[in-house]
Amino acid sequence: MLLAKLALGFCGTVAVAGAYTFHEGVMRVDEDHYDGRHVHVWVPAAIVPMALHVVPSRHLEHALEHAGPWLPTLRELTKELKRYPEAEFVEVHDSRQHVHIRTHQGKLLIDVTDPGETVHVACPLVMMEDIARELEAKSPAA
Amino acid sequence: MNAPAPRLIEKMALTLGASLLAAVVLLAPVAAAQASPASGSSQNVSASSHDRWLHVRVSNPGKGEETVRVNVPLELAEKVLPTINKNRLHSGKVRFDDVDCHGVDVRALVEAVRTSKDGEFVTVQNKDSDVRVAKQNGYLFVHVFEKNRPKKSQVEVKVPMKVVDALFSAGKDELDLVAALHALSSQGDTELVSVKDEENTVRVWLDSKNVTD
Repeated sequence: MLLAKLALGFCGTVAVAGAYTFHEGVMRVDEDHYDGRHVHVWVPAAIVPMALHVVPSRHLEHALEHAGPWLPTLRELTKELKRYPEAEFVEVHDSRQHVHIRTHQGKLLIDVTDPGETVHVACPLVMMEDIARELEAKSPAA
Repeated sequence: MNAPAPRLIEKMALTLGASLLAAVVLLAPVAAAQASPASGSSQNVSASSHDRWLHVRVSNPGKGEETVRVNVPLELAEKVLPTINKNRLHSGKVRFDDVDCHGVDVRALVEAVRTSKDGEFVTVQNKDSDVRVAKQNGYLFVHVFEKNRPKKSQVEVKVPMKVVDALFSAGKDELDLVAALHALSSQGDTELVSVKDEENTVRVWLDSKNVTD
């Protein structure tokens, strides 16, 4: 009986932790170069803002120095983009390249197809807004 | 703990099964959200029908079917513009001075156009180009037709006077872009700019759709 309770507790915890970790979706970066290099990063969106707390402050300060003035813009942009979960914003197309920026299921998707490489980025808007808020709070101007 | 072993195993299996089922149910929407990022053929119009969208389309059929499509919700632009403070753009207003206007008092010029009756203000016709500036039914029209360039071009601009008024509603030497966007959002579907020459076609228009044609 005790074993059953332990198993129930463990499995329940795993299920809830899994659900919480993935409830904001996954941030994906897929980069395929035609010289054979591939970069694929899949990160649960919920942990990205949390990870900012453990980034050494000297690295954050350097980033904030450059990004600081644009953080309010990023925050407002992501907040507004959430109102348009399925929309096409930019499409540039010619015989060699294709750039596509849109929102789909609450994510900002950026797809670039080029003769030399293919890049797909998918960022949950909730995560982007959280990051902008976190960074703004850490910004010296805040 | 007195339960027989098969009963215990049955309970554990049941618990594990229930937990996995719960995890699957909870994570299913997330998994669905991970659809391939390149699959963008379906375009759902999910934004509110009250939203007004500014569309820009540039196409160049000659150069390998080059096409640029930009769709911007006016409300988004209204909210985001005031957060940008860079160079001459501050709080949704852009500063201009005499250098930009070559000494022309643009504000006085706009005021003169605004208070005048409908009609044609400027008509220039020569061997190189035709230029026409007119005000009609609350719109300011600018029409330029260049005849003698290697490639003929035609520019048509149609701006609601309300938008022009809003644009110049800020202080001296400032254009209020946010006010202009707000005024634009109250307009019906309309084409604002059309540029055509033998190489490029540029269209800027306003409607309620979140996708271009």
